[in-house]
Amino acid sequence: MQSDKQNGLNPGAPDRPVKGTPIITVRGVTKRYGTQTVLENLDLDVTAGEILGVVGASGSGKSVLLRCIIGLESIQAGRINILGRDMATMDAKDRAEVDTRWGVLFQDGALFGGLTVLQNIQVPMREHLNLPRPIADELAHLKMSMVGLAADAATKFPSELSGGMRKRAGLARALALDPDIVFLDEPTAGLDPIGAAAFDRLIRRLQKTLGLTVYMVTHDLDSIFAVCDRVAVLADGAIVRTGTPDELRQNPNHPWIESYFCGERARAALAGA
Amino acid sequence: MVDLSITAPQTGEASGATLLIQQGQGPDDVLIRLIAAGQWTVHEVANLAGQLNGLAAEMKCGYGRGAVIDLGHVQRLDTAGAWLLEQAAELCKSNGLNPSYAGGREEFMILLSEIRARSHEKMPEDKKIGAIASLLADIGRTTRGVINDLASITGFLGALTVTLGRMIAHPSRFRTTAFIHHIEHTGLRAVPIVSLICLFIGAVIMQQGAIHLRAYGASQFSVNLLGVLSLREIGVLLTAIMVAGRSGSAFTAAIGSMKMREEIDAMRTLGLDPMEVLVVPRVLALVVALPILAFIGSIMCLVGGGLAAGVYLGLDWATYWDRMQDIATTRHFMAGMLKTPFAAIVIGIVGCMEGMKVGGSAESLGTHVTSSVVKAIFIVIILDAIFAMFLAEIGI
Repeated sequence: MQSDKQNGLNPGAPDRPVKGTPIITVRGVTKRYGTQTVLENLDLDVTAGEILGVVGASGSGKSVLLRCIIGLESIQAGRINILGRDMATMDAKDRAEVDTRWGVLFQDGALFGGLTVLQNIQVPMREHLNLPRPIADELAHLKMSMVGLAADAATKFPSELSGGMRKRAGLARALALDPDIVFLDEPTAGLDPIGAAAFDRLIRRLQKTLGLTVYMVTHDLDSIFAVCDRVAVLADGAIVRTGTPDELRQNPNHPWIESYFCGERARAALAGA
Repeated sequence: MVDLSITAPQTGEASGATLLIQQGQGPDDVLIRLIAAGQWTVHEVANLAGQLNGLAAEMKCGYGRGAVIDLGHVQRLDTAGAWLLEQAAELCKSNGLNPSYAGGREEFMILLSEIRARSHEKMPEDKKIGAIASLLADIGRTTRGVINDLASITGFLGALTVTLGRMIAHPSRFRTTAFIHHIEHTGLRAVPIVSLICLFIGAVIMQQGAIHLRAYGASQFSVNLLGVLSLREIGVLLTAIMVAGRSGSAFTAAIGSMKMREEIDAMRTLGLDPMEVLVVPRVLALVVALPILAFIGSIMCLVGGGLAAGVYLGLDWATYWDRMQDIATTRHFMAGMLKTPFAAIVIGIVGCMEGMKVGGSAESLGTHVTSSVVKAIFIVIILDAIFAMFLAEIGI
């Protein structure tokens, strides 16, 4: 059915990126705060359909890189190309389209406190689409069920949820428009090991069923071995290595990677995986 | 096979999405074909749901014994599209047709089976209530809220009294540093703003009194008006309202943010009594600071009145104070000052209590700060009215 695809697609329903082609290209990105350089001449590629884990020491700029890619922080030099468009030169219309094609899960869910879980999930639908109320309700309930939230959580406010439930609700909101790319900022941080493992499985399952590309910032070795297809290591302001978790473990070639992937905890994570 | 399409199929062009039906004719052709085509995504779902509704009627008069949902022309399918296909399958089932999918890509089938598994979880029904019922419910809730508030203020006052009693027995537990700190913040630092506001209000009352009493030839009596009013009511009430807005809200915000970050729970586990550490110094500081502020406020009211009297009554400064000495007796002064400790306790208790009620979220902090100020001002004014009636009855 691939042959049915044609050029000049309806802008409202853009075509899915073909698996294996680059979906995000970062070239020569430099980010400074005052005199402090956080990222310097950084290159990174994300290919469609993969789960990429971005790891690095605390304060190495993982979250800054994520914020630069999704356009929340300006960069001093370099180019970021996402879904075939340059972030810097993109016009408002393109930006609005890109907004519907990515979803972001912030660290603590970043749910809107004045809205219920169901309303939170419907925010992107209301903003970008004109859906009748019953359909929007059905779809939001479906998303809740897909991320493993019970139906009775729909009318709860974020302050009434546990940390894990807030993350799940945040993920449901990120998935509301069936995006091509999902950015996850430390998805398992603050969850207990069982909850974290369940969240890993959830990400894996959703990635398979929805054909997502996942960009995941993480500290969690268990997550890396359980779900990541590829890992990019951020150190000294640049991506020093990329590769599958096993490649990095067997051939670290960098002191930080060695202590991270070959340490006590990594062995434990590997034994569990 | 007869084509009973609702909309022309647009399989060649990728724009939009369509659903059409082909019904079997006669006994040899027993299958209904539902042909889905185009982009089955959330962008098209409203349009597709409309088409599906249109097909429902047609399916009823169909001949078929089974149904095939043909996905061969679907270019893209997302969760919303898959949900709608499942709705179509449900529709077939309800018409006695056994549906099956044909021609779908592998990833479509994975998504469809996922959605099928999920759609059994029914969404809970919203309880619908009428306008009058919801109005009554609101009144009921508010009434209960007021009663609960009264009960909790009384309870808090009781707890405060017990703590104070304990402190009298063990004076070393009193936190002098915190007490002084709060006197500075609620008292000393409020002096400029309280003085300024009372000065202006005093001048305004004098000016209005002079203008309106002139019609009766009694404009000189506006000095009496101001003297009594500022000592008994305005000085005290204005100061109390200012302090409720300034310090009551600060108490709620400070204690509330500690509650949010679990600092209060940490205190309890360390054997510190939040009542002793946080509430007592604040309330006592207010009990000291508010009477002083009210005194300053009342005097500033008189000063403002004096300035206005020079302009509107032609009274010079010395004559004004000379007359004021006859009017502003200790009786009026005491009637005003008597109320200040009570107002201080109310503001302190409401401020601290609302702070303790803050829950886990930042919104709840905002709500409680607002309600702390509103409740404190409301209770202070009610208290003032009760005092005014009581003092008039006993002739002070």
